Amino acid sequence: MSMLDIWLGVLQGLRITAAVTAYGLVFAVPFALVFGVAQFLTTGLTRFLITAVIEFWRSSAVVVLLFVFYYVLPVMGVTLSAMTVSALVLGLNSGGYASQAVRAGLQSLPAGQREAGMALGLSRPAILLLIELPQALVAMSPTFVNNLIQLVKATSLVSLVTLTDMTFRAKEISQTEYDPVAIYSALLLAFFVVCYPIALAGRWLEARVNPETGAPRGI
Amino acid sequence: MLDRPPLPSALQSVPLVRINGLNKWFGAVHVLKNIDLTLRPGARVVVCGPSGSGKSTLIRCINGLERFQKGTIEFEGRSLGKSDRDAAMARRLTGMVFQSFNLFPHLTVLANCTLALRRVLLKSAHEADEIAMRHLTAVHIPEKARAYPAELSGGQQQRAAIARALCLDPRIMLFDEPTSALDPEMIKEVLHVMIALAKTGVTMVCVTHEMGFAREVADEIVFMDQGRIVEHASSSDFFSRAAHPRARLFLDTILSH
Repeated sequence: MSMLDIWLGVLQGLRITAAVTAYGLVFAVPFALVFGVAQFLTTGLTRFLITAVIEFWRSSAVVVLLFVFYYVLPVMGVTLSAMTVSALVLGLNSGGYASQAVRAGLQSLPAGQREAGMALGLSRPAILLLIELPQALVAMSPTFVNNLIQLVKATSLVSLVTLTDMTFRAKEISQTEYDPVAIYSALLLAFFVVCYPIALAGRWLEARVNPETGAPRGI
Repeated sequence: MLDRPPLPSALQSVPLVRINGLNKWFGAVHVLKNIDLTLRPGARVVVCGPSGSGKSTLIRCINGLERFQKGTIEFEGRSLGKSDRDAAMARRLTGMVFQSFNLFPHLTVLANCTLALRRVLLKSAHEADEIAMRHLTAVHIPEKARAYPAELSGGQQQRAAIARALCLDPRIMLFDEPTSALDPEMIKEVLHVMIALAKTGVTMVCVTHEMGFAREVADEIVFMDQGRIVEHASSSDFFSRAAHPRARLFLDTILSH
């Protein structure tokens, strides 16, 4: 097998890698927004409980979570597909990280922004939606791009629960062709080819946003 | 002092805001001590005093940005207690201008002005734009309507903030050191706008160290020290014969510059 054949072989797993990433975002984005905002707004016991949920997803090893959800839940009568388990675990782990960016972005806004909204008679939800979140999300967009790239890279773990992603394909090929240098170099290149455009898109997005004001320019 | 038509006597007798025995603590610090103050419609009150005397906290209590522990604040006879709904009522009746402008940086000047018109007063986009442009014209920056706050000078930003507060047609305008964050040249343009506003007869309470402005515009001066109102006099009386030694010292220091 030539280097190109190996590379094309690895890329056959791209569909699964992309699917896990996209499906993972379905969990990650709502989790990050809801839990980041909730942690920002609440105090006391409620905040403690919200923080506990975030920390569970953020601080657990992803590999262990994958195994637990894939192999242990069926014993308890809950069977989820490998795809759903992968998207859920990777998505909520990534969402746990991103929730902290959401919270930090909200906390970093000057108190005067909220006070000005209150002085204008806006309700708390309106202040959050119209004044605080738009500024916080723009300010935190580089961090979200980071999180997305990490999510793509973390999909290499789903090969452990039988999904035929790029990493799984690399392992399959290595069983027929004993050429680890070529195969894993090809895999490395494949991930770079997927992730680098995301980094470029992130930079483009940042450049479109006025760093002084956080005001959007043409997006 | 500015000339303006006298108010009908019936209106003069009903205070717009009546503050009775107001006390506030920040933790263990007693920041407002037994404040009594009555604002009649059309009053132009300047609140002055040394830093940390409670001036800003006092006006922030009037529009519910700060909660207080003891005493009462009444708007046109309706008591403003300590609930969220009371605070919302107070904020509907008051406009607030902050020291650091607090414009929303992600919105244009026009959108800053129309946000509450549309979301709180539920005006149509067209009507909100019209009201906002009228007030932006009054503060001499109609051409900046489509600009973002960061593209404006400090003085222009503060004038935009004044226009934003006026859009909601407040019964009373609160100014919290509106010129303290500005260069001397920009102070002037903001004060001009405030003087023009005073001539319209709107009720104003202004925390400021601008004694020239106080002398020209205010009809009452409230002097605070260590959380108390130690002097409350007509503008002419305050400048000519302030009784309290702390007020005299303050005036001597400020006016000797």
